[in-house]
Amino acid sequence: MLKTRIIPVLTFNGFALVKTKKFANPRMVGNPVQAARVFNSRGVDELVFLDIYASDQNRKLDPMIVKDVIKECMMPVAVGGGISDLEDIRTLLKAGADKVVIKTKALTDPSFITAASEVFGSQCITIAVDAVLEDGAYMIYNRNGYKVPLLEFMKRSEEFGAGEFIINSVDQDGMMNGFDSTLIHLAESNTKLPVIACGGGGNLEHYKQLFLETETEAVASSSIFYFTQYTPNDIKQELERVGKPVRIV
Amino acid sequence: MKVLIVDYEMGNLGSVQKAFDHLDVLSIISNDHEEIKNADLVVLPGVGSFQKGIENLHRLGLFDLLTQEVVHHKKPFLGICLGMQLLATYGEEPVHTEGLNWIPGKVIKMTPPNLRVPHMGWNNIEVKQDDYYGSISTKDFYFIHSYHFVADDPGVISSTVNYGGEMVSSIQQGNIFATQFHPEKSQKAGLQVLKNFIDHHA
Repeated sequence: MLKTRIIPVLTFNGFALVKTKKFANPRMVGNPVQAARVFNSRGVDELVFLDIYASDQNRKLDPMIVKDVIKECMMPVAVGGGISDLEDIRTLLKAGADKVVIKTKALTDPSFITAASEVFGSQCITIAVDAVLEDGAYMIYNRNGYKVPLLEFMKRSEEFGAGEFIINSVDQDGMMNGFDSTLIHLAESNTKLPVIACGGGGNLEHYKQLFLETETEAVASSSIFYFTQYTPNDIKQELERVGKPVRIV
Repeated sequence: MKVLIVDYEMGNLGSVQKAFDHLDVLSIISNDHEEIKNADLVVLPGVGSFQKGIENLHRLGLFDLLTQEVVHHKKPFLGICLGMQLLATYGEEPVHTEGLNWIPGKVIKMTPPNLRVPHMGWNNIEVKQDDYYGSISTKDFYFIHSYHFVADDPGVISSTVNYGGEMVSSIQQGNIFATQFHPEKSQKAGLQVLKNFIDHHA
């Protein structure tokens, strides 16, 4: 049976790991190589490493840093930040990434998803869906104010060849007061692709709720691992109690 | 022992080499014909589409060379993910393409009812032939694929995985061993499988 994936997310500012709240107020939380080493020793299912300011600052993610992070990892790693052409993807895969995470480029140029999936296979193209609740509707924005409704963006990305979605609630980001199950359920029930839920986990109860209220099979988190005593295995043990398949190591 | 990881420009070869490094097994990444002939053991990893993989093998002159080395000279061979699928008679990703045909069978899109595709994440295998599965700490391995191998002869299936039905998760035939899962991404159990394969042919 396929196991529920618990995925730590490392968010990077080009210099250090940072943790935001509602995508703002970055707080420095450490060094990516050290963090990767710790999560590797804990045998986590997968890791996500994102440079969250690369696109906004017109930077590329430094492949040497990616290499150093991945060197620590004997599990799959998804990497994203500032990806805008096929060469960027090639560089990250060469540095050892198993999947790439694309957001900005996927929003403004969906045909890029097709180009990327044709060369690298759709299984390695993960689309970041950062949703904001606005007047009762979930919207996906870019920095220039371009916006598209959640389901339209997801449907389009899937048709163009995406392999997976990370659904992130901007409103719950870093708040640690629970997931937006409405958002996650809306997203996962409208796609055949794997979905990773993200944003809001602060205690074990939150994870239990998420998996009882949605059909998602994966969750990505960071705050809970920085600011509480809980580890990915603690979450898995909690999920096992409510009958979810997990891999305890 | 000289391990050669075939560079046919299909994805992440570095992570496979990293796994061999962890096992203290020296390996090189190359597509040089002489290096391949001189290697004691050949590894074909790879992610991407079946068609592109076969295309690259032809372009680099590896299609016939690998067949000669592995099928005729019986060189120990390990295929991983796409490197397993390419052994089939044909694949359908994205269109019908003739494969290496070392293991008669086909590679077709999976259609698990009510389940998401790709099959992505950790899933437990059921071992049918345990030559390379000794001493593994867990049966969970990391999978990431949308197409699966259907073998003509069930006798070559060395393990299966369940995802809306049984699928082949590894194949074994003489000097050939190939996995749909990624041993290099499957932590301790994955390293153990690689070690078992190396030890068996050392």
